[in-house]
Amino acid sequence: MRDTTSSCARNDAIETLSGAQLTAWQTDRLREVANHAYLEVPFYRELWDRAGVEPGLLRSLEDFARFPTISKHDLVQAGRFWTNPHQGSVAFSTRGTSGAPLLVWLSAEEEEAYIQPTMRGFRWAGFRSGMTALLMSPVWHRLAACEAHAIARLGGRCAFFWGSMGSEYTDSFLHTLSSARPEFITTTAPFLLSLVRGGAGATIRPHDLFKGVRSVVVVGLPLTPRMREFLRDRLEVEDVFERGGTQEGAAIDECRFHSAPHVHEDVCYLEVIDDAGIHVAPGVRGRLIVTKLTTAGSTFVRYDTEDIAAFAPGECPCGSGFRRLRIYGRPESSVLVGDRLITAYDVRMCIEEDPALVGRNVLLIREANAQAGVLTVAVEGEAHDSANLQARLREQLGVASADIVWLGDLRVNWGFRQVLDGQEIRLPRN
Amino acid sequence: MEPPVATENPYLLFDVPGGRLAFGDGDLDIWAEHLAWCYRMMGIPDGATIAVQDFGSSPISFLGSSLLMPGLQRGVAERIDGRFICLDASAERVTLTPALLAQLAVDALIIREDVLVLLSAELHKKGLAELAQRTMKTIVVFGDEPPALNPVRLPPSRHLMHIENALLLAPQCVKCECFHLREGFYEVDGRMIRNLRMAAPTYDLPRGELFSPSHCAAGIRDWCIGWSPRGQGI
Repeated sequence: MRDTTSSCARNDAIETLSGAQLTAWQTDRLREVANHAYLEVPFYRELWDRAGVEPGLLRSLEDFARFPTISKHDLVQAGRFWTNPHQGSVAFSTRGTSGAPLLVWLSAEEEEAYIQPTMRGFRWAGFRSGMTALLMSPVWHRLAACEAHAIARLGGRCAFFWGSMGSEYTDSFLHTLSSARPEFITTTAPFLLSLVRGGAGATIRPHDLFKGVRSVVVVGLPLTPRMREFLRDRLEVEDVFERGGTQEGAAIDECRFHSAPHVHEDVCYLEVIDDAGIHVAPGVRGRLIVTKLTTAGSTFVRYDTEDIAAFAPGECPCGSGFRRLRIYGRPESSVLVGDRLITAYDVRMCIEEDPALVGRNVLLIREANAQAGVLTVAVEGEAHDSANLQARLREQLGVASADIVWLGDLRVNWGFRQVLDGQEIRLPRN
Repeated sequence: MEPPVATENPYLLFDVPGGRLAFGDGDLDIWAEHLAWCYRMMGIPDGATIAVQDFGSSPISFLGSSLLMPGLQRGVAERIDGRFICLDASAERVTLTPALLAQLAVDALIIREDVLVLLSAELHKKGLAELAQRTMKTIVVFGDEPPALNPVRLPPSRHLMHIENALLLAPQCVKCECFHLREGFYEVDGRMIRNLRMAAPTYDLPRGELFSPSHCAAGIRDWCIGWSPRGQGI
C-alpha cells in the first residue's frame, strides 16, 4: 500500500483555511507547478519564453493570469514535447467530443492527491464506513479510477457491474444492483435516465431495485433542479448528487445543499474567463480554464477546456470555503442562435418548468435558420402545451423564435451528446 | 499447493458473465501475477506499452495497474515495468482508438473479440489498419473457443483465452501455438479445469483438444489446449 499519511494531513487542513490563506497556498502551488513545467516540459518552456512570462516571478494569482492559455489542439500538436518525465504509467483517453481525443497520463503520486477530494466528495454525499458502493468502471475516466480507492479507504466495499455506460448495459447494472444491494452508487446521468426510461413498462420497476440506496452520485450531465427531483422521486432514493471533473484535472462535488458543486481547491485551480481572456465575476458565464496543482501526471497549466461555466456567487450554507462552480455545457452541447449561445442545460431548465415535461429527453437541433434567430428543439413524446413552451423559450432565452419538434414514439438515446445537426436525424415535423 | 479457499470479507465484487468474482486482501496480486505471466508467454516484453480495450469490470482491465484497484500492490504495468492504456470497450470509445493509436506507439493491443470488427472498420476508415498491423501485436481475447477467421477483421497476432467466472486465463504460446494452462495454477481432470490458487467454479472445456504435460518446452509441466487451425483463425 502507498503511504497516505502526509497527503491526508495536508488535505484535511486545507478545508479550514481562510480565503486569504487558501489564495496564498494555491499561489505557492501554482509557482511550484509552473517551475516544474518550465524545467521539465519543453512545450511550456517554449510557450512561456515566447509569451515573456517567468514562473520564478509568479507571486500572485494576477501574475498567473498573464500566462497564456492552451488548447487541446496545442497539446495534440506538441506530441512528445508535452511529455512530463513524472507523468506516470497509466493513460486514459478524453472523449474526443471536440476533435481528436487526447491521452492523459496518471501517476501514483497524482492519484494519491486526487483520492483525498474523492473521499471528501463521497462523505458529502453521505457515504459511511461499512456501506457497499456500486461504482463506475475504473477505466472509464481518470477520476473514476480514484473512486474504488476512496471507497476502500472510507471503509466500504466496492461492486462493479459487467459492461460499460451505454444504455445496452442497464440490465447488467440492475442485476448487480439487485444482488449487491449497495447503499451508494456512482454513475452517469445519461445512464441513469436511460435506466428510468427502460424501466417505465417493466414488471420490476427500477425503484424496487433501488430500495436501500441512500445516495446516487452522477456525472456527465449538469443536473437541473427538476431533473434531480425527478430522479430522486422515480428511484425513491434519499438524494442525488452531482459530481464533475475533467480528465485534465478539474474536480468538483456537491454538498447536501445542492447550491452548485464545490471546487476541490487542493488539487486544481479553476478560472472562468471571457473571450478577451479576462476573469469574469461570479454568476457570469465564461470558459473554464484548468490548472492542476500537482507536478505529477500529465501537466495542465491554464488549459482551456472550452466548457461553459460560472462560479456561483455568495457563500454556501454548508460553510465550506471552497468556491462553487456550475458547468453548463460545451460548444458541442450548445447552439448559436443569432448571437446567443444557448446550452442544452438552459433549454432543459426552460422546458422543465412544466412538470409534465420533466424527464423527457431534449435535443437541440443545429439548423441553418439558427442564424436568423430560430431555436429548434426536439422533445421526446407527444406534443404538450406547445404555445406556452415556445413563449417561454423565446422570453427566457432571448431568441426571436422557437421551433419545437415533438418526437412522439421516436426514442433517442440519452447520451452525452445533446445537439444534433439537422441532417443527422429525420425529424417528424409538426 | 493448497486448495483454494473462499475469500473471506471480500471488499471487491465484480459481476462477470456467468457469475461473480469476490476478492479480498492479497487475491488481486495472485491474479495480476498470472496475467503478467500470460503476457510474457505471448511474447510481450518487459517495458512494453499495453493498451486494453475491455470493460472495466474485466480483470484484463482492472489488473492493469495498482492505480486502478485498491489492494492491488502491483498490477501488470508495475510487474512488467511498462505502461498501460485504459480503453473502455463501449462502441463510443472503440471509435476513438484509431486516433489514440496514431498519437502513441503501442506494443500490444489487447481487445475483446466482440469489438474487434468495429475497431477494424474504424482503422480501415482512417487508413490506419496497415500501420497498426505493422507496429503492434493485436491480442484477441475470447471465451469458450477462438473466433473463426474473418477477413474483415484485423488479423490477430495471438489469442488469449479468458473464462471470467472460472478465473481461467490461458495464453497462446509463441512456440507451440497452443493455449497453456500454467502448472501450479490450474489442475486438469478429464476435461475439467480448476483454478488451484483462487476460489472459482471448475470449468468444463466444451471443445478443443487437451495435451498433457511435456507437450511444449515453453512450459514443460503445463497442460495445453489446442484447436484445429482450420477456420479458427489460429
